[in-house]
Amino acid sequence: MTTGRATRGFGLFGSPVPGHSLVHRAPLWVKFGFVLLVGVSTFVVRDWRVSAAVCGVVLLVHLASGLGLRRLMRSLAPLLPILVVLTGFQWWSHDLPFAARLVLGILAAYVAAGILTATTPVDQLLDGIVWAARPARRWVDPETVALTISIMLRSIPWIAGAFGDVRESAKARGLERSPRAVILPAVIHTVAYARRTGDALAARGLGDPR
Amino acid sequence: MTTIELDEVIVEVAADGGPSRRRLLGPVSTRLTEHRVSVIGANGSGKSTLLRLLNGLSLATSGRVTVAGRDVKTDGAAVRRLVGFGFTDPLSQLVMPTGREDVELSLRRSHRDRDTRRKAAEAVLLRFGLGHLADQSIYELSGGERQLMALTALLATDPEALVLDEPSTLLDLRNTMLLRRALTALPQTLVFATHDLEHALEAERTLVIEDGLVAFDGDPAGAVQYYRARAEALG
Repeated sequence: MTTGRATRGFGLFGSPVPGHSLVHRAPLWVKFGFVLLVGVSTFVVRDWRVSAAVCGVVLLVHLASGLGLRRLMRSLAPLLPILVVLTGFQWWSHDLPFAARLVLGILAAYVAAGILTATTPVDQLLDGIVWAARPARRWVDPETVALTISIMLRSIPWIAGAFGDVRESAKARGLERSPRAVILPAVIHTVAYARRTGDALAARGLGDPR
Repeated sequence: MTTIELDEVIVEVAADGGPSRRRLLGPVSTRLTEHRVSVIGANGSGKSTLLRLLNGLSLATSGRVTVAGRDVKTDGAAVRRLVGFGFTDPLSQLVMPTGREDVELSLRRSHRDRDTRRKAAEAVLLRFGLGHLADQSIYELSGGERQLMALTALLATDPEALVLDEPSTLLDLRNTMLLRRALTALPQTLVFATHDLEHALEAERTLVIEDGLVAFDGDPAGAVQYYRARAEALG
């Protein structure tokens, strides 16, 4: 069914790529700090040349982690149309340097976040979230928070895949232009998937109080 | 051996919108003490409903289900630690992108420290001969490998009993044989539903479920014979 395609998630929500690069081995807090720093820089930096430099550094880190250009290109593909429109609009309403600064900032933050999820095994990410959620443990179980987030991360590429598959079967019946023939089945698939996942978690006692 | 007891168990669900209720199972009373119990029956007969009761995935509308003396309704978490549940489709079972991560997820509760958890996961994967597949995306595994991986993730926590809902329905012959061999070797108490009558015969006791009731309960050969005769009579 949808599952074959679901592996092809790239970018921010892509599945981790095993590796032994320096980036892979860096502690989680360093990687998270890096993502945070890149994000904050987009607010602070006023000069588009600095933005370009930040973006360049992020791209270098991406290549240094052995993720490759292909993955980068594929992860950017869905974002590209938005960036082009945004560039045009900002150029028209402000000026080119402003547009460049904005788009380069988005690009840098997006790729940086993608590096984090691509080089960190889910288990390690979970431990990080559990650690970060500890201050709130009076109200929620940090393990539950971590599990919820990891299920969310895993589900996004699956849902994207479900839409792709449904679109294909709609196409096979000549209905690709009908939103009803695409959206409704995809939503139903997704709900069924959510129920199955919930069953699997419950069966393994993962939601049980410890 | 883990004793599983059902006492006057009935499962009902609300029928679409109306106040009337539809009975999926029951009343069923039985006591399972065998090492291997198979459950056969037509599609929609209530096999899955029966199995889901055994680790609290579904709760009885009335009656009592106990596993090793623990009530599934009031002591669900403890029962789920004793009883692992396997689904027909291993992809519903495996919630993580790779087998290793899924096994580690199973072990999170028992191993709080990441390094010991890693080692424990590695040991489990090697024990079941899946070390070389551990880091592959679960979507890239073959159906048989996937079912074995799901089984491994279940066994990682060392449950006393396993409940498997049609574990071989999606598998080809070779993989079915592979799975059966793996299951035979397990020390755990095993309750499994199947459409593979040969597999059903390997149990010590077989239940035939028909319209939500236990229609036959006894030796596997007799059960299969009964089930065949019923299917032909209805044919």
